[in-house]
Amino acid sequence: MDSAFFEIEGLVKRFGGLTAVDGVSLSVDMSEVVGLIGPNGAGKSTLVKLAMGLLRPDRGSIRFRGREITGLPPWEIVNLGIAGTFQNTRPFRRMPIIANVMVPCLAPRARKRGEWVKRIEAKARDALEFAGISDLALEPASHLSHGDLKRLEMARAIATEPDLLILDEPFGGLNPSESELLAKSIKRLHKGGRFGRLHSEGVAMIIIDHKLSDLLPIVDRVIVMHFGRVIASGLPQEVVNDPQVIEAYLGREEVEGDGHPA
Amino acid sequence: MNPRRLYRRFASEVLVLPGRTTVLAVCLVLLILPLFHRHPYTLRVLSLTFIFAIFAASWDLLSGFVGQLSLGHAIFFGVAAYTSALLNLQAGLPPLVTIPAGALVAVLMGLVVGIPCLRLKGQYLSLATMGFPIILTGLVYLFSDLTGGELGVSGLARLGPTRLSEYYIALVLVLGLGLIMWKITDSKVGLVFHAIREDEITARASGINTPLYKLLAFCLSGFFAGISGGLYSHFMRVAGPSTLSVLTSFQPVIWTIFGGVASIYGAIAGTFVLYPLMEFLRVAPELRTLIFAALVVLVLRFMPEGLTPWFIDRVESECPRCKEHNAVTRRTCRVCGAPLGRPSAPGAGPFQPGKGGRVAG
Ligand SMILES: Nc1ncnc2c1ncn2[C@@H]1O[C@H](COP(=O)(O)OP(=O)(O)O)[C@@H](O)[C@H]1O
Ligand SMILES: [Mg+2]
Repeated sequence: MDSAFFEIEGLVKRFGGLTAVDGVSLSVDMSEVVGLIGPNGAGKSTLVKLAMGLLRPDRGSIRFRGREITGLPPWEIVNLGIAGTFQNTRPFRRMPIIANVMVPCLAPRARKRGEWVKRIEAKARDALEFAGISDLALEPASHLSHGDLKRLEMARAIATEPDLLILDEPFGGLNPSESELLAKSIKRLHKGGRFGRLHSEGVAMIIIDHKLSDLLPIVDRVIVMHFGRVIASGLPQEVVNDPQVIEAYLGREEVEGDGHPA
Repeated sequence: MNPRRLYRRFASEVLVLPGRTTVLAVCLVLLILPLFHRHPYTLRVLSLTFIFAIFAASWDLLSGFVGQLSLGHAIFFGVAAYTSALLNLQAGLPPLVTIPAGALVAVLMGLVVGIPCLRLKGQYLSLATMGFPIILTGLVYLFSDLTGGELGVSGLARLGPTRLSEYYIALVLVLGLGLIMWKITDSKVGLVFHAIREDEITARASGINTPLYKLLAFCLSGFFAGISGGLYSHFMRVAGPSTLSVLTSFQPVIWTIFGGVASIYGAIAGTFVLYPLMEFLRVAPELRTLIFAALVVLVLRFMPEGLTPWFIDRVESECPRCKEHNAVTRRTCRVCGAPLGRPSAPGAGPFQPGKGGRVAG
């Protein structure tokens, strides 16, 4: 195979005078779990929105399975097999949780022909079960706590059974026990298998965080961004010792996070 | 199915909920009313009420559910009214043909309005929708040989042979089409409509082709509004520029907000109350608009979400566990048996114009 599974090349995104993503190139292999870290404002979320098709890049290209997806509308990207979550959670507020997850189950990718609402609901329930919020299924999304909203984002993304899952700071604002649960489900998802009606087969993932500690046990490789550029990439151990990375984090927070062991 | 089972099912689906029972009672009263009272004036006012209730519900489908706040809904009503009128007068087609034909033209108008509106959000979309009836009014005056200009086209075939038959045609249509619209909002498509109103970006990121669904909403709404426009022209036996007026555009908005937005039945209930009221106020022509406006404002002051949510809140409560509705008199939930506490948290909140219309970038 000469083209990578997921590949970004020379991507640039400007907001007025600010260049949020400044010539980023990276690639992700099939079934690979990549951590993307960088201080706040590094351009990580912007990169995610570019990959999801929610923003249009000023320059550069994004390819998925050898196919150019730059400029495709977001729903087509989802239907090709990329799903992402929002760092600042964006639920359908006044709809019950279950309905929030039924919507992606209605996307062409997730829907089998002629499927009944009942089947779709059952599938949405499996996604909620997987994310660990099935007991809240009937609550409106506006009643959820921050941690549960994060899980709802996750449930919504996996409901389309993506081949590449992009999680934007899934650990943000979670307490240690919630983080641990989430790490477990991410590993489970990556290992693959059947979760009720959902099927996953070694989903490739890009997981974003602003520090490394949460990611260490999950990721195969780490990419570090700073001021819109990739400044380092490699195994977690290599990255934390990279002088440029230490420099980027100097005076902010530790690369590995606030002291709790990885 | 044997009658006893049928009755039991009916009892468990309809009679257990005061809201549904009320709907049923209203339907029955309207169905048998002409047996007791068939004054032509009453029948006329009620027939127009039914026709306009279809119009209000069609507005609710687009603006209440999908959040595309249309302030130019008269475009669909008017284009269908003129189409039906001209087909009837020029081609001699009967209402049974001209009304569906008018509705189909209104569906096409849904595309004409919807496509430019796809890129617009919030108040810009509303402003743009307002422009369309104005443009069509201009065309009506421009081609006054065909359209009759200010006076419109008159002398259409009647909707039915008698006032009574027209009453029943309008009644059956408002009930039937109302049920269809309600079913649409309760379906998979309706779920996507809700989602688009809540957060269009999230809907897109969930793999939903939102422009396609929005166009579908414009066309569906245009269809039902078109039916009401065609009914109106045959009922009045005239189609004039007033069918395209700003007032025609704003009335369904007022009726629906009064009745309760994003429910279909709220739009119908609002029209059922306000349209006859407005007619009744003809007894004081100078004060009519003033009294009407004051009443609407006053009522919304006490029922901020509109009439039907207020009413349902009084007679039904939501089970905290399974979210099914129950009569307020019940102590335990009829579905899951959970104990019913006092006031439940509201599910669907108040209507927030513009909230649904956000677009990426
Ligand atoms: N929609 C936007 N408009 C203007 N500036 C933006 C927008 N989104 C992000 N930015 C800016 O781009 C930079 C990168 O932001 P972001 O991608 O959110 O960083 P990160 O996720 O790494 O914290 C920040 O300086 C931010 O203020
Ligand atoms: Mg971010």
